[in-house]
Order: sequence, then C-alpha cells, then structure tokens
Amino acid sequence: MSEAMEKLYQERLKRYVTAMRNEKPDRIPIRPFAAEFVAKYAGYTCQQVTHDIELAFAAVRKCAADFDWDAVVGNMVYVWTGFVDAVGLNYYLKPGIEASPDTPFQYIEPEDEPNAYMRENEYDALIADPTGFLADVWMPRVSNDVRAPGAPNSYRNNLSWLKGGMALMHYFSQFGVQNARLRAESGTVGAIAGCLKAPFDILADKLRGYRPLCMDLFSRPEKVKAACEALAPHMMFNALAGADPEKNVPISLWMHRGCAPFISPKQFETYYWPTLKQIILEIWKRGHQTLFYAEGNWDTHLNYIAELPERSIIYHVDRGDIFEAHKQLGRKFCISGGIPNELLTFGTPDEVRAYCKKVIDGVARDGGYIMDTAAIMQDDPQIENVKAMTDFTREYGVY
Amino acid sequence: MPDEKTMNLPPGVCYPWEEKKKEYAALLGDETIVKKVWEDIDQLAYIYIWFCLISS
Repeated sequence: MSEAMEKLYQERLKRYVTAMRNEKPDRIPIRPFAAEFVAKYAGYTCQQVTHDIELAFAAVRKCAADFDWDAVVGNMVYVWTGFVDAVGLNYYLKPGIEASPDTPFQYIEPEDEPNAYMRENEYDALIADPTGFLADVWMPRVSNDVRAPGAPNSYRNNLSWLKGGMALMHYFSQFGVQNARLRAESGTVGAIAGCLKAPFDILADKLRGYRPLCMDLFSRPEKVKAACEALAPHMMFNALAGADPEKNVPISLWMHRGCAPFISPKQFETYYWPTLKQIILEIWKRGHQTLFYAEGNWDTHLNYIAELPERSIIYHVDRGDIFEAHKQLGRKFCISGGIPNELLTFGTPDEVRAYCKKVIDGVARDGGYIMDTAAIMQDDPQIENVKAMTDFTREYGVY
Repeated sequence: MPDEKTMNLPPGVCYPWEEKKKEYAALLGDETIVKKVWEDIDQLAYIYIWFCLISS
C-alpha cells in the first residue's frame, strides 16, 4: 500500500467518523450503499454479481475508485446466491436461475399461514430454544436439502451443512481481503461492520411473514412479545460478533416492518421498540454506534428514536422527511441519506444537483450529515445522476 | 446423552461444553484448552445458523 493511499484512507476515515459522531468534518462524506448499481457500472449482469462474489467485489472496487467515494460496503448485494444454492435455501428467486439474469434477487416472503416458515403453534418452541428451533425446524423447512431430526438422513443434508459452513467461512475471509484492497487501492473505508435486525422484523421477514404476524398481533400478542424477548439476546450477540473491533464504523440495523403503514404506533411501542431499544443501548454501552437504516417512512416514530443516547446512532432517511428528522434528531445524531432513488433513476443531473443542494443547505450546515441515496441503489439509478450526486457533494459540501 | 430437545441454548452456543464434557471418560490434560477450542468452533456453527436467518 502506498503512503499516499494510506494518507487518503486516514483522511476519509476521519471525515466519515467525524460526521458520524455528529461533528463537522472537512467536507460531507460520501457513502453510497450501492448494490446492483455496481454491476450496471462495471458491465456485469445482476446474476454475475449476485452469484459470484469475486465479480461483486471487483465491481465495488471499480466504483469506489472511479467515483472516489469516501466509504462503501464491501458487497452490498447482500444475498450471495451461490451460498443459497449450496445450502438449498428455497426462499429466493435467483437472477439467472428463477429470474432473468438482469433482475435483482427476489425474496419470497410467506404470505399466509400454510406457507409460513414458522407456524402459528410454534411460538413456544422458538421461545424455549431459538437456536435449536432454527436448526431443527426452520432450516429443514427453508432448505430443500436439510433434514429435520428424526427424518432419514441424506447425503444432501450432510453436504448442505458442510458446504454452507465452508462457503460462509470463505465469504467472511474474502470480505476481509476486500476491505484491505479497498483501503490499499482507492483509500476507501468499509462503511459498516456487523448486522442487526429488530426481533420483530425477524418474525415478520423470515419466520412468520408479515401477514401471518399481523394476525398474531391480535390472536396471540403475548407470544409475539415473548418471541421478541427471546430473540433479542441472539440479535445482539450476532451484531456484536461482526462489529468493528476499532469501534470506528457502525453496526448496521435494517429496519423493515415497524413503520407506518405496516403496524400502528401503539404496536410499535409495544412490540417493536422495547427489545430493539434494549439492544441499541447495550451496543452503545460497548462503544459501538448503530446505523439506523430506516427503510420506508419512520417519521411517526422519531420521538422514540430521540430517546436514545446522544451519538449512539446514525439515522438514515429513506422515505421520511429528512428536514423533520434533522429537526427532531439532528442535535443528537448524524443523519444520512434522503436523496430519493427515483430522482436518480428518472431525474436529470441538474435536478439531482438541485436536490442535493436543498438537503445539504437544510441539514448539513453544522456537520453531522452523510451523503447517500434514500434506499440502497439497485440497478435503477442512472450513472450520470450518481456522478452528479457525488461530484456536486464533493464541491458544495466543503465546510 | 442429553435430551437435545430440551436444551435451552444461550447466544453463541450450539452444544454446551458442559454436555460435551460428559462424553469424555477422562480428561487427562488441560481441560481449559479443550473447552476453549470446543466453544470457539461451536460459536462458528452458531454464527452460521443465525447468519442464514439474519443475512441470507
């Protein structure tokens, strides 16, 4: 690694961390969460970057170098369909297999009770032993290869566990290589480390499905609460297991079904928030910030988020009002995002620049702002618009 | 052999050391090293299972 590149890396790290601590760096950090966009830019199909992690990593490095971003995620195409295939997971439509090679992967969420990955009468089993339930009940249900205890074993069952484990170890090790290469080749910071989801979102996304869970909120609310409480220590453990040992970059929290219109404010207060808040407080006590990637519109819950300790989170705006978020949260927390994805897809570079100016003027004057699109960039944004967002921020976002 | 169905496993654990230890007729050397490595590898398996749920 050259001295000049390491110097650039340290400048970027300082810029990014300063903003995340809600202070004023030299200029606004640029930290796009670019998923399938990197494929579009680098000339790959969605299939290529979703199935072959080496191509995904190469595409990210190309974007980081060419766009000169301050921080990126090493691979934001968060599902590796090669891994999915090895394990036999059956809840994805994979680009180039069940979907066209140019379509991002699609998650098949359980729509109704018969298809739920966790059945309505299995709450007690989950609560009593979450890990055991996942291994013995959930995995056999969501994998075509894994067999439940008591069922006849198979070669494919054994291979699923073996290949999945080996593949994951390989992926984790390659992520480390990717972060090192980003640092050495373009002085780019790895934006996040560690992954967290709210216990409620785990129930909604991966166990019951949103619609069956909605019924549970009325038919067995005490079980939903108890399940969230049983899942919480595991969510925290896993988040901390992947966290940055230097405590520079945040743990990422992907927030899905806690906002309007999915659940009511009262349901948020009763089921979504208590265990999540507990986890965030404990993570902060251990010195790690959390990036609240609030997908959708979370404006009705800003008062709850404002309860959290100063600087404990970075609040990312998707469909919410970034100016309102700044008004309610900006004194305590760094804000990121707020540039609408549809603007980068359907707008012009001039419109993108104008919007970036509006956001920067409105929320970034005192520091504590990170430039990013509202939602993860899939293959929709126009390259010229992403360039406009980047170049404008680099020029206009100087303090 | 413990009843696997009744194990309530804390975070980071797939098969507790306390149960594994019962399987040894004897531990003639350093138990701490055996325990540490068992728990380290066990935690990797735990992370795998939960990775499938959380991130895949």
